[in-house]
Amino acid sequence: MPRSGKQDVQVAAQRAPLLTGFDTEVWELPGAELLHLSFEIVEEPSEWLIPPALHPSIPTYATLSIARYPQSPVGPFALAQVRVVARAGARPRGYLLGAYTDLETAAAELRARWGFTIDVGTITLDPRHDRIIGQVQRGEQTILDMVLQAPEQISGSDVTYADSLHLIRMPENGTEKPVLIQVDPEYVFHNAQRGRARLLSFQADAWGGNNRLRCTSPITATFVRCDTDLPRLRFALRTLGQNLWKSFVSACQTKRYGHYCLCL
Amino acid sequence: MQTKNIRVGHGIVVCVPEFNHPIRIAERAAALDILSGGRLEFGTGRSASWTELGGFRANLDTTKQSWDEFVHCIPQMWTQERFAYEGQFFSMPSRAVLPKPYQQPHPPMWVAVTSPGTELDAADRGLGSLGVSFASFAEQEAKIKEYRRRMQNCNPVGKLVNNQVSTINFLYCHEDDQTGARIGLQMGRYFTYLANQILIAREVFPTKSYPTSGLLPGLRRQASAPGDANEPPEGLTVGNPERLIKVLKKWEACDIDRVNLVLNAAEMIPQEQVLASLRLFAKEVMPAFAETPAKAAAAGGSR
Repeated sequence: MPRSGKQDVQVAAQRAPLLTGFDTEVWELPGAELLHLSFEIVEEPSEWLIPPALHPSIPTYATLSIARYPQSPVGPFALAQVRVVARAGARPRGYLLGAYTDLETAAAELRARWGFTIDVGTITLDPRHDRIIGQVQRGEQTILDMVLQAPEQISGSDVTYADSLHLIRMPENGTEKPVLIQVDPEYVFHNAQRGRARLLSFQADAWGGNNRLRCTSPITATFVRCDTDLPRLRFALRTLGQNLWKSFVSACQTKRYGHYCLCL
Repeated sequence: MQTKNIRVGHGIVVCVPEFNHPIRIAERAAALDILSGGRLEFGTGRSASWTELGGFRANLDTTKQSWDEFVHCIPQMWTQERFAYEGQFFSMPSRAVLPKPYQQPHPPMWVAVTSPGTELDAADRGLGSLGVSFASFAEQEAKIKEYRRRMQNCNPVGKLVNNQVSTINFLYCHEDDQTGARIGLQMGRYFTYLANQILIAREVFPTKSYPTSGLLPGLRRQASAPGDANEPPEGLTVGNPERLIKVLKKWEACDIDRVNLVLNAAEMIPQEQVLASLRLFAKEVMPAFAETPAKAAAAGGSR
């Protein structure tokens, strides 16, 4: 069998948001700008960052992203995320370690609707012709400083972003259970660039990576302008790799959440 | 145990300069051809995974070009006493590249086909199409038809045209059809599951050089197709001998020349069962194809 994650999800879930239901409306996010860097990471310690339901990819890698959304139901906001990309069964999924936004109301909505483990910080996205710079500060501390160097135009059809998995807590029979939910935005690309990924500063502890997330070889960096969304939730899975959470199956069968769900 | 007739198909050698220098490729292939008494089938390709390409820090944008350059040069290294070259991915002064292959004029050449269109690259260059992805009868038949059409006007890279199409399949043969299908399917799914853990190029590196995800989308579809719990997908060679003969006859009717059979995945089937499957296949299935003309010999180099 492939290797599996070793995260203690009960401990990790302590900082995960509590969701009382899966029902949410779509947020359309037109005109977004997204800087996205990927790095290979040190394999063994990173296994402790993902739940047993997921397999580390070979090689393991992480994505660091900063998005700026000029339009949303709560107004303009920025969103920075750090994810370890793993496999849910056979599929690539970015497991969210931590996120920051620059708008408190956005943070509250993202927590409550899509299960983002998220805090508020200062986020900068600075697209230039020779480089694109993304920075995140928490208080006075820079916790992420990254650059796409030497941008070149590419086709948006060549860009692929893995869907996300978010760890949440759900009430069940008087207790709370950790659950993974999938957040799978759609993208319509208007412009895409590719360049070299460079990490100038990264405080893994600030993103839930503790001392186990260590970026090594850069893979690539992309910067896109696109229309995107935060969609309705369609999939949930157990953190330990058992079959689909039954209550969500029932919910899906009522068509309340639309589409379909996946059994892993 | 020594074999006398079975051909040596080593999968593919990656024709990307960060992986392999073409002189070394030519030398190693020729040596293997000599050691096998002229039974080498020379497979070429460029890899589609970041796991491999990233490991060598290869330039993903140019793998198709370097492959093309290599496959044009290697047959010349084999067949010319001395070879000199000034190219994009390598250059060399005049040298004798030794040893020369055992087969004359040289071993038959193949290219691994995962990305759509590579089978046409194969046809245009007089190369065999080494299918390494899974597809339905209809999909394969359409591709083969176009491959054959293009092959008529090919500009061969070597002195030998290899106009064969090979495809890949899982093999598990058992007297009881349900048992064979069940174990074979488990093996196929496990292979699929494992294969999907690697990092394909397209997943992480946006480039026109890899417009699709190669063989993995098909595998992922198979991994999640609803309602496929027990019945083997179309064209899979798992089950009893009767079913296998029927399936292989259909592949033959699709104009497939060869089938590469995956016998096991990560040793999930005990070796004794694998051997029993092979013996049953040899005894019950192979005779049904005894009359099929041996295209392999026709296409291969002479010994």
